[in-house]
Amino acid sequence: MSKEMIQTGSERIGLVRLATGIPGLDEMLEGGFPFPSVVLVSGSAGTGKTTFALKFLCEGVKKGETGLYFTTLSEPTQWMLRFASQFDFMDQDSFGEDIVYADLGSLLMDPKADELLDTIENKIAEVMPQRIVIDPITVVGGMLKDDYRIFLFDLINRLKNWNSTTLLTGEVKPTELYPPEISYAVDGIILLLLSEEAGARRKYLEVLKMRGTNHITGKQSIDITRTDGIVVLKARF
Amino acid sequence: MHQVDIKEDNRLETFITRRYESTLSVMNERDVELMRSLMDSIGDTVNGGVVLIDVSSTQFVRVNLVLLKGLLEELDHTGIFISVDRPHQYMVHLMRMHKICLDRITFIDVISRFSADRKAGEARVSFVDGPFHIDALPHAMEEWSMNGRSKINDMDELGFTMIDNIAALQMYNRNPAVELFINNFILMAKSQGNVLVPLVLDRERHRSLYDSAMRFCDKEVKVERDLSSATNGSRSEIRKEISSINYNKEAR
Repeated sequence: MSKEMIQTGSERIGLVRLATGIPGLDEMLEGGFPFPSVVLVSGSAGTGKTTFALKFLCEGVKKGETGLYFTTLSEPTQWMLRFASQFDFMDQDSFGEDIVYADLGSLLMDPKADELLDTIENKIAEVMPQRIVIDPITVVGGMLKDDYRIFLFDLINRLKNWNSTTLLTGEVKPTELYPPEISYAVDGIILLLLSEEAGARRKYLEVLKMRGTNHITGKQSIDITRTDGIVVLKARF
Repeated sequence: MHQVDIKEDNRLETFITRRYESTLSVMNERDVELMRSLMDSIGDTVNGGVVLIDVSSTQFVRVNLVLLKGLLEELDHTGIFISVDRPHQYMVHLMRMHKICLDRITFIDVISRFSADRKAGEARVSFVDGPFHIDALPHAMEEWSMNGRSKINDMDELGFTMIDNIAALQMYNRNPAVELFINNFILMAKSQGNVLVPLVLDRERHRSLYDSAMRFCDKEVKVERDLSSATNGSRSEIRKEISSINYNKEAR
């Protein structure tokens, strides 16, 4: 073969995507989240961040993928499952093998950024998941204080190299959209919003950023149902 | 032709020694089973030849790791691992976590100096400046091995050469350059003697590249992971199936 061959005929290779399993959302994202990538799911209390994350993991199990769920809340598996089991899409049997649950809460009592990073990476290397959730990442900020930004930089950089798609959930005040210290480093941002309209609180989802994706913009109404968890109701596309 | 230079890692001695001992895990049964099935499917080609392994893109790392375990631990082979998709430290970390010996492997890291990654790793490694002009890499590797810089004592001992992963090269190079790389890479590997070259690709996603690689391969192995719904809407059963199909030539 000639070494001087002309390089033509470039064929654009699309990104590998992981379906989120959230009805209506994958259509907004050209099929799902890029693989690998790190996506922030941001919202105030009660907007459905954990439900979103669990559905994402359960969807992976259906496709033969392994999930790894880190909690920073020091919450026993059984306690989390107690509430999550109310959703039809949840299969308790998945937890343990197909979805591995890891508690970072005890490390956060006396947190050291390097130790936390090592623990997360060692668990990832052990489980080799295709889908990872850290729920919520913002708790770590309050614990690490000055080291938080460097920790986030290292964590997000490394998560991108672990051949997984990671969801970081971020809790914000009702007046905030997303935690700014995380937003610059992630590949995607999904906002879960509460809005008071005519005396009722309505829920919305907005894809604020998704690199490499021609995504649908604007707020979309959502509902949280027992059957599917989060459902995008009025997708204007 | 663009010159690609492979530089040795002089920083190796300064890398931080990480203490993994307390967290080491043994590879789980499912992956050990996958390793055995892969080794069975590769069969005699393990002593030299090109094996094309068709697997979902999301499982590349898992398949590379089980291949390394099989080749390094079960067969005591010596090998070269070229990192394109992520810095070599991640595979080193995985190997340490799964207790895979690193004594007989040398990494060529094509991406690290391009990624600004600060992760530590401890392994024999040489670096290439970046993933561009990949078509020139086989020639550089040949020179690198001939002048003794490969750190493999005797190149006749080389048992395998792997790359993680060929499809990632398409992000940095045009298709003809990647195809030229595959061609030259395989020729270079074969010129070293009885070397196994496992090429891990996702046929569904990278059809054109896969078809190019098919022209050179001695055997094709398909790793399938599909699912069949369980009754009563409960747990989904994952069926994992590995089949090997002889392709064109007899394995050497």
